[in-house]
Amino acid sequence: MENSNSIANEKIIQDLLPQKFGRSGKIWTGILVAFCLVGLFAYYRQLRYGLIVTSMRDYVSWGIYISNFVFFVAISLVGSLITAVFRLADVHWSTPLTRIAEIIAVAAIIFASLIIIVDMGSPERFYNLFIHGRLQSPIIWDVIVITTYFFISILLLYFPLLPDIKILLRFKEKNGARLHKFYGFIGSFWKGTPEQFKLSEKAINILCITIIPVAFSIHTVTSWLFATTYRPGWDSTNFGAYFISGAFLVGAGGVVVAMYVFRKSYHLEKYITADHFEKMGRIVVLLALLYLYFNVNEYLVPAFKMKKSEEAHLNGLFTGEFAPLFWFAISVGMLIPIVILLFKRGRRPLPVFIAGIMVVVGAWFKRYLIVTPTLLHPFLPMTNVPDNYRHYFPSWEEWAIALGSLAGAMLVITILSRIFPIIPIQETITEQHETAE
Amino acid sequence: MKLLNKNIIGFLSIILLLSSYDALSQDAQKGDLSVGLNYFVNNNKVPYLLVKVKTKVDGKFKPVSAIDLNLFLDKDSAGTLIGKVVTNEKGEATAIIPATLKNQWHSSVKHTFLASFEGNKKYESAKADLTVGKAKILIDTTSDRKITATVLEMKDTSWIPVKGVELKIAVRRLDADLSVNETASFTTDSTGQASADFKRDSIPGDIKGNIVLVAKIEDNDQYGNLLIEQTVPWGSKFVAVNNFDRRTLFATRDKTPIWLLFMAYSIVITVWGILISLVISIFKIKKLGEA
Repeated sequence: MENSNSIANEKIIQDLLPQKFGRSGKIWTGILVAFCLVGLFAYYRQLRYGLIVTSMRDYVSWGIYISNFVFFVAISLVGSLITAVFRLADVHWSTPLTRIAEIIAVAAIIFASLIIIVDMGSPERFYNLFIHGRLQSPIIWDVIVITTYFFISILLLYFPLLPDIKILLRFKEKNGARLHKFYGFIGSFWKGTPEQFKLSEKAINILCITIIPVAFSIHTVTSWLFATTYRPGWDSTNFGAYFISGAFLVGAGGVVVAMYVFRKSYHLEKYITADHFEKMGRIVVLLALLYLYFNVNEYLVPAFKMKKSEEAHLNGLFTGEFAPLFWFAISVGMLIPIVILLFKRGRRPLPVFIAGIMVVVGAWFKRYLIVTPTLLHPFLPMTNVPDNYRHYFPSWEEWAIALGSLAGAMLVITILSRIFPIIPIQETITEQHETAE
Repeated sequence: MKLLNKNIIGFLSIILLLSSYDALSQDAQKGDLSVGLNYFVNNNKVPYLLVKVKTKVDGKFKPVSAIDLNLFLDKDSAGTLIGKVVTNEKGEATAIIPATLKNQWHSSVKHTFLASFEGNKKYESAKADLTVGKAKILIDTTSDRKITATVLEMKDTSWIPVKGVELKIAVRRLDADLSVNETASFTTDSTGQASADFKRDSIPGDIKGNIVLVAKIEDNDQYGNLLIEQTVPWGSKFVAVNNFDRRTLFATRDKTPIWLLFMAYSIVITVWGILISLVISIFKIKKLGEA
């Protein structure tokens, strides 16, 4: 019996060890690097010539950079959803998904921080936040919670990794010298003693409890960047809950997309099963319905009252300049995924993957619609400004930097999945044993 | 030769016709200007002129900027030139009576001011004149808060009180003057005086309670615009309330409200305390492994 367990364990380990990039992996990485380089070149131009290379002007001072920031902040919530909430609720089926969620969270929060610095124009202005920042400003709260969330996400990725590092250190030749040295540096001290496990479990539990209020804070504070201003479209008490529900949705959407891609790429069908897609599909549809509910509150209630100050903004979204994008974001980001995922046949891997992509793409455009149209509808009419101040379409530099940051986040996910097991090995073995018993 | 002469005459006729047509067409496009002259003496100091230039567009008067005007004293000649002025975006221009015209100024108790515009591509030439007599206004106050304004005009070489001149006695405020009591305007009696009781007791003044009283004659046909001011300590003292000294949400960083500092630092210390303890756990795990 012990021998057969050992063979099963070895099989799991072999299945789940990080794999070198194949041809498609190299092409994928190459494409991401190319996007990042173009983004870096665009950023160089922005540093060289200033923010004038963007289409942001006096009125639209928050364009796709801030949309991107809100998107990254939103998708990073997945770490707390899949890891913390499910772990505290003693949900075991999500174990193969935890590492994916943690990696996405780390990658997203890194680029959320970076894109803010990009939006500032000159990066040294970031320093001014610390020397001139006011604690009364939600921007400082955001800096604090993002830093805290980043640190928690790193710890939440690190602690569950320790037992896997011990396993990885057994495969020196397969790892290669440099990677082996890196594993040794970050976890050679892990011997798997009961005391170490006890300390690690305790730390993970504390992290899971801590990350939930911090994650709620990061999304609420990000929503307050908008909601604490008196502007059409932002002046809402609904914004905190609206942002959190949207973040849960895009986070879950991101996980199902990553699940499908890793399952296909690394042949993990035995570990990320159709049942995982079925369950995640249910979660995504629930979250999509919840987010739709908040959208109804956010748009229909003001539209029913149609205050003069809100009229131009709402008409712009419903039937005006932003209508195609608005209805695209609502239908692709919520309605169609709901229709797909409400039915059992829609919760098979491929439809769930497609619905996940729709949710993520819809979510990105939804963030753009939250940020930009409001800025084009100030309370005082725009006077004596050039015509291009009245509209906003990002410059190629903005697109390149935004796409570069998205590619960068995916590159971080790709690299971390190359370095670390994408499914926790030790936890999978432990659960297999518990199931067998 | 005759043919040549005919051709030359025909050609010249066409040129003449065209040029006259062009001149006519230009004339047809030119607008008419309305030039207004106003005379001011503030606090019995150097008089100055205010010129206002307007034109009618779609039935409404609109100010005209960049109009060059020559201003003269009494007659249109180089020796009596007050100055050359150009109107601003409000269609206005000002000029003081220069010291060079001192003798001319003292030679008479009544003067005529002339403004002339020579015309340009857009507007026809225009002129205006204004005749005013030399006058002055005095202001006096008593301890029982009574204000007396006296209007005097120059006759020969002496100042004579003027009866029946309408004037206003008011308090200077930021955008306009506020009448000192419920009476909007006053008229001078045979002694040239008009009196008003000050009834704005609680009006805010500066930090010492000073307010500025003003007596003024506006758009008078004979004397133009005369104004005199006097500062009196009749207002309530202004006490500056500086909110930036308080701890508020809109204050500077060193004036953050205590409750916000307490809440923010409590949360940050608690969360980062937990995180630091978790980092210590890593070292404990490391120590256990090395042991």
